[in-house]
Amino acid sequence: MEIKNVQSFQELILRLQAFWAERGCVVQQPYDLEVGAGTMHPDTFLRVLGPEPWNVAYVQPSRRPADARYGENPFRLAKHFQLQVVLKPSPKDVQAVYIDSLRALGVDLAIHDLRFEEDNWEAPTLGAWGVGWQVMLDGMEITQFTYFQQAGGIELEPISAEITYGLERITMFLGLSRSVYDVDWVPGGVDYGLVRHQDEVEFSKYYFEVADVGFLKAQFDGYETEAKRCLEADLVLPAYECALKCSHLFNVMDARGAVSVTERVALIKRVRNLAVACAGEYVVSREKLGFPLLATTGESPLEKKEVNNGRE
Amino acid sequence: MAGSEFLLEVRSEEIPARLLQPAIQELATRLFAELMELNLAPANMETGFTPRRLILMLKGLPSREADREEEFVGPPVRAAFDTQGLPTRAAEGFARKCGVEVEALQRVETDKGEYLAASRKVVGRAVSEVLAQMVPPLVEGLGWARTMRWGVGEGPWVRPIHGVVALCDGEVVPCRVFDVESGRETYGHPVLSPRPFAIRGVSDYRRKMARRQIVVRFEERRQRIQDQLEAAAQSLGSELVEDQDLLDRLTAMCEIPGTVVGRFEPAFLSLPREVLITSLRDHQSAFTLESGGMLLPSFITVMDRPDDPKGRVRAGNEWVVAARLEDARFFFNEDGKTSLEQRREKLEHLTFHAKLGTYAAKTERIAELTKEICDSQGWSELVEDASTASNLLKVDLTSEMVKEFTSLQGIVGGLYAEREQYPAEVWQAIYDQYLPASTEDAIPRGRVGQATALADRIDTLVGMFGLGLIPSGSRDPFGLRRAGQGVVRIVLESEMPLDLDLIVAKSVLLFGDLLDRSGQEILSDLRLFLQDRVRHLLGLRGYAYDTIESALAAGSSNLPDLLARVDAVHKVREESDFLSVVLAAKRIANILREAPDEDLEKVRLKEPAERDLHEAANALRNDIDRAEKQADYEQCLRAIAKLSEPLDRFFVEVLVMDENRELRNNRIALLQAIQRMISRTARLTEVVVDKSEHRDRGESKSSD
Repeated sequence: MEIKNVQSFQELILRLQAFWAERGCVVQQPYDLEVGAGTMHPDTFLRVLGPEPWNVAYVQPSRRPADARYGENPFRLAKHFQLQVVLKPSPKDVQAVYIDSLRALGVDLAIHDLRFEEDNWEAPTLGAWGVGWQVMLDGMEITQFTYFQQAGGIELEPISAEITYGLERITMFLGLSRSVYDVDWVPGGVDYGLVRHQDEVEFSKYYFEVADVGFLKAQFDGYETEAKRCLEADLVLPAYECALKCSHLFNVMDARGAVSVTERVALIKRVRNLAVACAGEYVVSREKLGFPLLATTGESPLEKKEVNNGRE
Repeated sequence: MAGSEFLLEVRSEEIPARLLQPAIQELATRLFAELMELNLAPANMETGFTPRRLILMLKGLPSREADREEEFVGPPVRAAFDTQGLPTRAAEGFARKCGVEVEALQRVETDKGEYLAASRKVVGRAVSEVLAQMVPPLVEGLGWARTMRWGVGEGPWVRPIHGVVALCDGEVVPCRVFDVESGRETYGHPVLSPRPFAIRGVSDYRRKMARRQIVVRFEERRQRIQDQLEAAAQSLGSELVEDQDLLDRLTAMCEIPGTVVGRFEPAFLSLPREVLITSLRDHQSAFTLESGGMLLPSFITVMDRPDDPKGRVRAGNEWVVAARLEDARFFFNEDGKTSLEQRREKLEHLTFHAKLGTYAAKTERIAELTKEICDSQGWSELVEDASTASNLLKVDLTSEMVKEFTSLQGIVGGLYAEREQYPAEVWQAIYDQYLPASTEDAIPRGRVGQATALADRIDTLVGMFGLGLIPSGSRDPFGLRRAGQGVVRIVLESEMPLDLDLIVAKSVLLFGDLLDRSGQEILSDLRLFLQDRVRHLLGLRGYAYDTIESALAAGSSNLPDLLARVDAVHKVREESDFLSVVLAAKRIANILREAPDEDLEKVRLKEPAERDLHEAANALRNDIDRAEKQADYEQCLRAIAKLSEPLDRFFVEVLVMDENRELRNNRIALLQAIQRMISRTARLTEVVVDKSEHRDRGESKSSD
């Protein structure tokens, strides 16, 4: 059966969510805070820690203040959308399943060039690194594929596979669209520009011209203090939220050009310290609960899917 | 080919391109060495790899290890038989263990007495059995720079392993690599031929891979790509902009060699050539094309498939290239809105090194040091350009273009300076500042470029050495060896008669109190460090190590002068008069080893041979002085060689260590004077003489 090529932004999201839902993933929702990447969602950063199995897929709006371009650059955005999948432990056939997900989008691999090029990932603010690839379709990077090795300074076992689809890029690329703003959000209807352009223009102005550095700094200090208080009260999830706030505030200050070189190093270190502390605390908190997800199943959702197929 | 064959294919997820070649080499070398140790070396071994496979193909393997006799020593004879001469339990037990009757046991004499012994024939293992044990630790233990784990903690290896084909003469060699059992099944291309298939042996493997268009041999794949690239370039009436590194990288990134040609808008050709080539190479792994020195609005890249049936691969690559070049043009135009001069203040915010300050501070030091270099060379007419170039040297580090293409640092600054119509000496100095980056590179083309490039590197070297950050072993995070190499090459190849010690001393002063170590320590460490670079470079030019040592030991921090000395020694060192002076110099050095300085009194020269030597030396002194002053070191050494005869005679006829103290000290004084005279150009004692070739004339009376 030929699957029709995805033509719009929302179709892409719906198909990917359906694909991963069928393979047993928890379909989560975006984290309701500003984050720089889907990796920072607690359902990735914290869930990859410890022994519990976890399979999840969600869209995450990701903010990169430094990439803001007043809505004038056809490729760069202050906020873009990622679809993030985490499979823990990483299934043996994870690459093949990923390739299937492209087929589910209607990408006819018989006429495209698909390659996995080395691209290791490191996030100093999260004390995290992994190895993997950027997945190239006809020379275009469409996905980041990473085997997490460490998070919050903690060596991981089991290992999680993280698949991050760049949604705007994929939609643009499938339609060979010249500008992200021309991409259909709704098939043949409202386009990306109509949905998001004002957002890009205003936030560019805010990040580069208006944001009050004194206010941001005070917020940073405040959230840092609050994170530490939460940790002392054994409230790791609220603490982690505060750390995410700090991370975003740092990015805004950085885009605003308000961070000197030495300050930069110091601020990154403060965020990192919070993230590392939260990671350690999270494992402790899960252990106290008896690692509840261990009871769900040791199997990966992909194997479950095969079992289901067998019954059909 | 007679003997057994072995096929190994390790299939994994995509291995980084740059790691493949070293990995397969390591695997092949180790397996070969281990087989050789057991006298099982194959007659022929071929390797192959693709991003997803490491492949070894061995032919002409001995089928099994040789059988061998092994001797076992049992209990001592006195414990083996009782008083009646009947075998004890110990003897019977040993015989049973060896599988023979007690009567069949032999006796061996050892230094602890007589023992029972048995020899047993050990049947050599089949080669497949040997391989089954050898392969897993070799594969698992490959020395990857960075490894990972996967799944529940499998590994560590460079990427997850999926399959191992291990076949000896068509039979599976049973072994286990991590959680993967060996077998005969493999897979084709993950998208185009994803179904598994069974392999019968080496030639079957080749045939079945070829049927799937997978080229497993790297060299063959590279050749096919090269041919396609050249054919495509020719059909466009152009030539490829050669890039061997890129070709290797692309070959390691596919298993089916295919190429695709794309185009971009000709308007992008207004971007500098360097920017276009770099953007296409670094971002798109694409070759550029040129005709008559002009780039074409086309590129060629490699795909992991044989064809592009619907033109989607071309369209996709063109789409990405257009976006990339759009970015590059944006950066080029954005950067152009601010002049280099206006941009300079941004260096105040750019750290060179936490302890050594910002690039603004470095710029000031470079400017001062460049001026010092120009002054020392009497280049007063260049001082102004040199000052401008120094001040703008590092400004491009603040540009968007360099942030995007770090490999273009320097070049971008040079291009911008050209765009702003600075004089050629200035923009070229900025453009060339990182030259030479490799042994193939030339040095900066102009005097200003040479001076600024030197000042920049010496500043870095002094700063890092001043903090004790000296390269050791393979650790050289700041690229100081390359910087040192650059210093030596620039000075030597530009023939700049520069006293490096003086420049280093000046550089130390420019750091003020930023450095942790004393100027003296820095100077002496750096001198040794640079001498190592000199040794290396002159060695590459074909000078013998002892020739280099002899000139280095004479001490000159002026490198062209040093080179002239090395060359002079090189030219005269085979001449027999010179060689006998070398031998004499060694003898003198032995005699004088611990002697305090003595004064020569001519009246005390008693023997004719010592008077002759003294006169000969006096007669030559002027010649040597003059040649030395003119830096004509060959002449100098030839003059010294004239002492050969009187020196030889001196040693035959005169006993230095005379019982008479005054005579003795006077002779020591004479030799000290001679030593000073003959060691000025090069320390002759460092020159190694093969005595069997050189006839040592006469016998010596001296007790050396």
